[in-house]
Amino acid sequence: MAREKNYGNPQLENKLRDRYYYVDDTKPEFLANVEKIGRTIAHMCYQCGTCTGSCPSAPRSSYRIRLFVRRAVLGLEEEALTDPDLWLCTTCYSCTDRCPRDIAPTDIIMAMRNLAFKWDIIPRNFLQTVQLIYKSGHGVPNNDVNRAARERLGLPRDPPTTHAYPEFIPGIQKILDHYKLKENADRMLAEEGK
Amino acid sequence: MSGNKHQYAFFLGCIAPNRYPGCEAAAIRTSAKVGIELLPLKGASCCPAPGAFGSIDLNVWYAMAARNVVLAEQMNMDITLICNGCYKSIWEVNHILKHNDELRDGVNEVLKEIDMEFKGTIDVWHLAELYYDPAICGVDKIRASVTRPLTGTKIAVHYGCHLMKPKKERHFGDTENPMWVDELVEALGAEAVQYRNKMQCCGAGGGVRGFDIVHSLDITNEKLINVKEVGADAITEVCPFCQLEYDRGQIEIAEKFGIKYGLPVLHFNELLGLAQGMSPQELALDLHAIDCKPFLEKIL
Repeated sequence: MAREKNYGNPQLENKLRDRYYYVDDTKPEFLANVEKIGRTIAHMCYQCGTCTGSCPSAPRSSYRIRLFVRRAVLGLEEEALTDPDLWLCTTCYSCTDRCPRDIAPTDIIMAMRNLAFKWDIIPRNFLQTVQLIYKSGHGVPNNDVNRAARERLGLPRDPPTTHAYPEFIPGIQKILDHYKLKENADRMLAEEGK
Repeated sequence: MSGNKHQYAFFLGCIAPNRYPGCEAAAIRTSAKVGIELLPLKGASCCPAPGAFGSIDLNVWYAMAARNVVLAEQMNMDITLICNGCYKSIWEVNHILKHNDELRDGVNEVLKEIDMEFKGTIDVWHLAELYYDPAICGVDKIRASVTRPLTGTKIAVHYGCHLMKPKKERHFGDTENPMWVDELVEALGAEAVQYRNKMQCCGAGGGVRGFDIVHSLDITNEKLINVKEVGADAITEVCPFCQLEYDRGQIEIAEKFGIKYGLPVLHFNELLGLAQGMSPQELALDLHAIDCKPFLEKIL
């Protein structure tokens, strides 16, 4: 005989539902996506905390890399992707070098950032870099003060990159357009400006 | 690949050519003195910035970095570069695509649109590792090239993150207390001082400098405290982005935290240039935010 299993006490049922680990939108595919994009084995984590202990961002913020790995394992997609701490990782890879389970927590963060971007969650400075590279090929483009300095050093005023050879820029734009990156960056920055 | 001539395609990146051109000039001239020739990698772009682009979409990062690698494949020449961030993009994407058929096929599908194909025929090196490698140059050859030893100066080496870490994907060995760049610095006649938490990040990477400058500078400040504590006359690094974080960062730290260090920050190539007799003008040290004079007075 199949029947619902409960305490027969609505008040107690509600209380149980309030427990922080009871999350009914847990998504197992979140873990799978993170592991695929990050090319690492998040599910091997036993929560020792070596990563957080090695992290230069942890002592000066609420960012806890261990928590993000746990969120990956539990499939807490929304909790992970909407937390602004996601963007405090400097990608120094100290956690990765010290992880006793051979996981790359840094790459878990990178994967989560990729997934957050698909939800239009991304700090503006990242989008501005896309616009700069689309325009000039450089994330940090040349300027006149620097051109004068280069000339003084006997270097060409513009380096032999896309700056001196702008004919290479359309190829770069094609790559970025293939992934609709410029389009999305423009749209998100425009929406922000409204 | 480049035979006995030690020729390399010189991948410039962004910050060296466009903010600290002295690093570029120094790389070309110092390497020539030890028998390494750097040739321009025409049409190269931003590596692209691993923190910014990798965070948005790793597939775009693979494709954009692969385009730069293919430019060198077309020259049939290994790449050398002088920035840890560039190393992460160019070395790592080259490495990944050589060993991951699925990702390589995905990248080549996109590169086809611009008549390019990643073949995996070249290698990528940081110029500092070429300097250290006895098969190419080596510490002794660096020492022999010095005409103005940096005797009497104390220099703190900042290794940065993306050259040596993650160690299991790299070939540099220990990442807790490496000494190879310290050895290069001592070959110039300086004393390479040891300081607390030497391998800590400068604070700039992962897009954090652009996202939360105060958080970023707080990490930088911790490093500066540790470097100052041991009485260093200058910081040296092998990454123009770390250089920017320490150099311009000190101005920002003074503004935001009210703390002044006045600690000169020089790329290893600039340091080597000085030791080989280049003048501060030839290195455009005047473009540095922090005045290098206190350091220069000790050696000139």
